Amino acid sequence: MKRILLGSAAVLTIMFSSIAIAHADVLSQIEKRGTLVVGVKADYRPYGYLNPSNNIVGIEPDLARDVAKALGVQLKLVPVVASNRMQFLDQGRVDLLIATMTDTAERRNVVDLVPPDYYASGVNIMARKKSPFNNWESIKGAPVCAVQGSFFNEMVARKYGAKLVAFKGSAEALNALKQGRCAAFVFDDTFIAAQLQQQQWSAYDIPLKTIDSKPWGVAVKKGETRFARFMSGMVVHWHVDGEIIKLQKKYGLTPIAYSVRMHKFFDDNFVPSAN
Amino acid sequence: MLAQISQWFIWLNQTTGINLTIVYDSYDRGRMIDGFLNTIYLSLICLVISVIIGVIGAWLQRSSLKWTRRLVQGYIQLFRNTPPLVQLYFFYFAIGSLMPKIENKYGIMQPILSNWDWAIISLSFFAGAFNVEIFRSGIEAVPKATVEAAESLGFNRLQVYLYVVLPLAFRVCLPALSNNLVNLVKTTSLAYAIAVPEMLYVANQIWSDNLNVPEMMTFLLFAYVFLVGILVWAMNRLERRLQLPGYGG
Amino acid sequence: MKSRNSVAKPTDLPVLMPIAERLTRGRGIGLSYDIPRLQLRAWHGLFLLGVLVFFSASAWAQQSPDHPATLAQAFIRWMPLLLKAFVFNIVMSFLAMSLGTIAGVGLGVMQLSPTRPTHAVGWFVTQFFRNAPWLVLLFFCMFLLPFRFSVFGVTVPFPDWIKATLGLALPVMANVAEIMRGAVASIPSGQWEAAHSLAFSRRQIMFGIILPQCIRRMLPPWMNLYAILTMATVLASIVGVSEVMTQTQRVLSAENRPEFIVPFYAFVLLLFFVYCYPIARYTQKLELRYAVRD
Repeated sequence: MKRILLGSAAVLTIMFSSIAIAHADVLSQIEKRGTLVVGVKADYRPYGYLNPSNNIVGIEPDLARDVAKALGVQLKLVPVVASNRMQFLDQGRVDLLIATMTDTAERRNVVDLVPPDYYASGVNIMARKKSPFNNWESIKGAPVCAVQGSFFNEMVARKYGAKLVAFKGSAEALNALKQGRCAAFVFDDTFIAAQLQQQQWSAYDIPLKTIDSKPWGVAVKKGETRFARFMSGMVVHWHVDGEIIKLQKKYGLTPIAYSVRMHKFFDDNFVPSAN
Repeated sequence: MLAQISQWFIWLNQTTGINLTIVYDSYDRGRMIDGFLNTIYLSLICLVISVIIGVIGAWLQRSSLKWTRRLVQGYIQLFRNTPPLVQLYFFYFAIGSLMPKIENKYGIMQPILSNWDWAIISLSFFAGAFNVEIFRSGIEAVPKATVEAAESLGFNRLQVYLYVVLPLAFRVCLPALSNNLVNLVKTTSLAYAIAVPEMLYVANQIWSDNLNVPEMMTFLLFAYVFLVGILVWAMNRLERRLQLPGYGG
Repeated sequence: MKSRNSVAKPTDLPVLMPIAERLTRGRGIGLSYDIPRLQLRAWHGLFLLGVLVFFSASAWAQQSPDHPATLAQAFIRWMPLLLKAFVFNIVMSFLAMSLGTIAGVGLGVMQLSPTRPTHAVGWFVTQFFRNAPWLVLLFFCMFLLPFRFSVFGVTVPFPDWIKATLGLALPVMANVAEIMRGAVASIPSGQWEAAHSLAFSRRQIMFGIILPQCIRRMLPPWMNLYAILTMATVLASIVGVSEVMTQTQRVLSAENRPEFIVPFYAFVLLLFFVYCYPIARYTQKLELRYAVRD
């Protein structure tokens, strides 16, 4: 009897006790295990989406592949959503986040957002062309679809008084918009612009002035300075080479102003060494 | 007093990092109270509807028409053997899109049933499928002699059902029923998936905004255990009040 | 059927028939003779297929002409992915059930312990995990467990699907403990006394006499729990595990065709029905069989 009790107690202890987490510099860990684990979006076409053979492809997976190549290791992509990505990074489930994440002060408290930023987007809404929205104040009280975990949700609800209907991912939110369950969908303007290129959204547009235009950052776990420095180098290299502009063209997007500006800035001010 | 409590929680956040915004931030507090009330509201409505579905279903299952019985049986099996989450998605995104639409004030053709409505429908039907079986087994515990006695007193079929069979059957199946209703309250958290602002949904928004997952998670667990505790207590009281002399220990 | 219910004291009021114990189990309730059993025959499958074809046709009717892929093509293209994902759900359900059962039996034994503190702890843990929503427990394990841990210098990785499995095993554990408690309580206390008088120790009575009898009574509710667990594995989609629901949503996102939603979701429902319905039927059969033998 006693042994059984001890046994079950041990099982419970293992299940509930907080367990010591091994700690070492993430860069040496990556080298040791020979794999780089990157958190990317899987429902954010064309930045990260699924193809029929169950691989995640898109602009950000391509960037991740570039990082793995530079490190000389294998790449493993982990799909993340806005509401879990920072937890994943914090727990060490992923080494690196390239997941459409906007660089905000609050997030800088939690993760290391590597300078410089690699992309930029602002907040806008996607709505039917004939809808009455012409400024941000006009969305007050309107049911607006959103994605759980977007940083601007709170602002849109608190400042502009929209009635948010937040879903787990952008696919559900777009569905709800299409079915007329919300009057608009509030999200990154880059995403909306990419959607609007498709024929099925021809009756929709992006009616408001983009606000809160903010850059996207690549994130590493807080305190991983060596890896953060390495990633800084990678992002600078992408801007110098116009890598991101090339990728946008590859996936059928018009390069955004931010990419063009950054490319020009780094091209003018940064002289690469030998190669 | 309230301000002092808020101050203390702000201090707690600054010193220990335990960030319970739902106490000191009035916006988060308001959201969470709404979420809590919404969970109760959703639970109560689904509870009532699912019991009604159970009663009607159990009655239909005793119908003399073979196809009525088959239909009820089909409904039960379909809802019991598929995941409630997928049912919810199916109702909301799939069936919901086939519903008639009316124009709202934003000039948008909006489906007539909202996510609230679909959550109520889907969860009620899910719990109702179990209730049918529970009520049926309760009805079967009522002896034929009692029914015949009632009939000989001039009750018609419906009256026998309402005044004799159901009150007796209800007492028999109370334990099973309360079990199922507890499950229903827990299942309301699924409405999160279709953006019904119940407790889990609100908690998720708060932890997305404030990055305080462990605090919100702990709060959620205790809030649900509290709600379920109240329901169990109420059902136990009901059971004691309805107890028949000579039955139940 | 002879009454094995000890609570039905003799009374001169012929109010209720003996209340079969299986009523209180909630789900697994045997069907009586006048209720048609839903027996799946070939035409049922055809009917379901017909429903699918109907929705496909309606989807096809809504389809705009500039899209190349038909629904059938889309299904063929994504079927291997979805089926693989469904197998993953089953694997998760097996693991969670095994873990939950082992822990649950331990917890059940704790609850039956004569020592007060052990009993109290067992009772509290059982009630807590039984009354918390599965989805909340899943979130709990997902976000609060580390992604790997070290035991005696060995680092064990802890991928998210294992965390989800643990999250599902917690409520299973509490439910198994409860099922076990109920089954042990259904064994007449005379057996304990008789065994005591034959000088068996408590442990010998529990494992040699009481539990073997309980297994038969525990089997139907245990299988029920398994079916519920299998259906709960889709909850893992909400926390980002790549199981069948997640993959379906990704497929829908990749196809970007709102008219595909109905058939794809219907397909997921069908997958679970085909898997869980036979289990439910078998459970009913077992229950009826045991009920007669009692």
